Amino acid sequence: MAKPPDTEGRNAGAREVTRDLASRIASAKRERDVEDNRASKDASPEMSGLARGLRIGTEFVAAILVGAGIGYLIDLGLGTSPWGLLILLVMGFAAGILNVIRVVAQMNAASPAPPGSDLGPDAEDEAER
Amino acid sequence: MAGTDPIHQFVISDIFPIATIGGDGTEGSGLHFAFTNSALFMVLTVAVISLFLILSSSGRKVIPGRAQLLSELTYEFVAGMVRSSAGTAGMKFFPLVFSLFTFIFVANMFGMVPYFFTVTSHIIVTFALSMLVFITVIIYGFIKNGASFLKLFVPAGVPGYILPIVTPIEVISFLSRPISLSVRLFGNILAGHITLKVFTGFMVMMIGALGALGWGASILPLLMAIALTGLEFLVGAVQAYVFAVLTCMYLNDAIHPSH
Repeated sequence: MAKPPDTEGRNAGAREVTRDLASRIASAKRERDVEDNRASKDASPEMSGLARGLRIGTEFVAAILVGAGIGYLIDLGLGTSPWGLLILLVMGFAAGILNVIRVVAQMNAASPAPPGSDLGPDAEDEAER
Repeated sequence: MAGTDPIHQFVISDIFPIATIGGDGTEGSGLHFAFTNSALFMVLTVAVISLFLILSSSGRKVIPGRAQLLSELTYEFVAGMVRSSAGTAGMKFFPLVFSLFTFIFVANMFGMVPYFFTVTSHIIVTFALSMLVFITVIIYGFIKNGASFLKLFVPAGVPGYILPIVTPIEVISFLSRPISLSVRLFGNILAGHITLKVFTGFMVMMIGALGALGWGASILPLLMAIALTGLEFLVGAVQAYVFAVLTCMYLNDAIHPSH
């Protein structure tokens, strides 16, 4: 410790200021996180039934159309008609189901069932039997 | 009868031609470029949004006036949507999401004004918007994550022997996104405007066919048309919101590709 005492004093003062600033930054960050969480809760308004139905419908139909389109293009390119179209159409159907499951899972996550409501038998009920 | 034809409102007409490339000079040959009524309303939409945002935020008051409050609320609404769906890392795409949201919203609202053209009732417009999102997701996903962006198509925890079946399904599911995104917006707006026109067309036809009795009977379609007008404003706003939210979710896939 070869530092002169006056720099020592200034460092202590600077450290004090830094600590104060750090605590202020931390509290501001906490406030912002709370704000963000509240915003994310507010930002999921209930979609109307029509919008929900159309969303699920288009997700399903679009996947089938894309599957059939790819299959048709494969047939055009490779001359394997009609196998590409048939197989990819079924694949598109599967992808449509997958889309619908994802959308519905998302919607359920956005608006969870109220606590205490009966959601049908689950794993615990099975175990009791 | 053009007055009650429900499809007539979607006709695109030239306002002034710009150029024709190729073709032999006859009508309908070659690539024809023109400033159409669709283009006019796109320009109007962008102009209204830009003017509103520039004018309302030019005051920069600490305590905002009504107009400034409205533009700040729009900002907060879209920013909250981006943060909650794509995380804070998604905020670099805020300009894209904000532009898409305000463009679709204002274009839908313009469409509700009588005699105005609805830009979003043409699938090529909505498809171009959704392809913009789709291509952004692909390019940014590969730039940010490199080849590991392809993990998006390989769900975690799936045994290897099922992968040949699951991966093509995931790929089709991914490719169907721009189509479902564009068809949803286009379908909602098109169907809404056609039903509105059909019901108001009923009134005109009833009065024409039944005379004095028609005046009384046309109250029923009038009530329906009033209700549908309110619904259409709602649908226009909700569809702009849905488009923006889904854009955020797809961008989220590009930022964090693991399922």
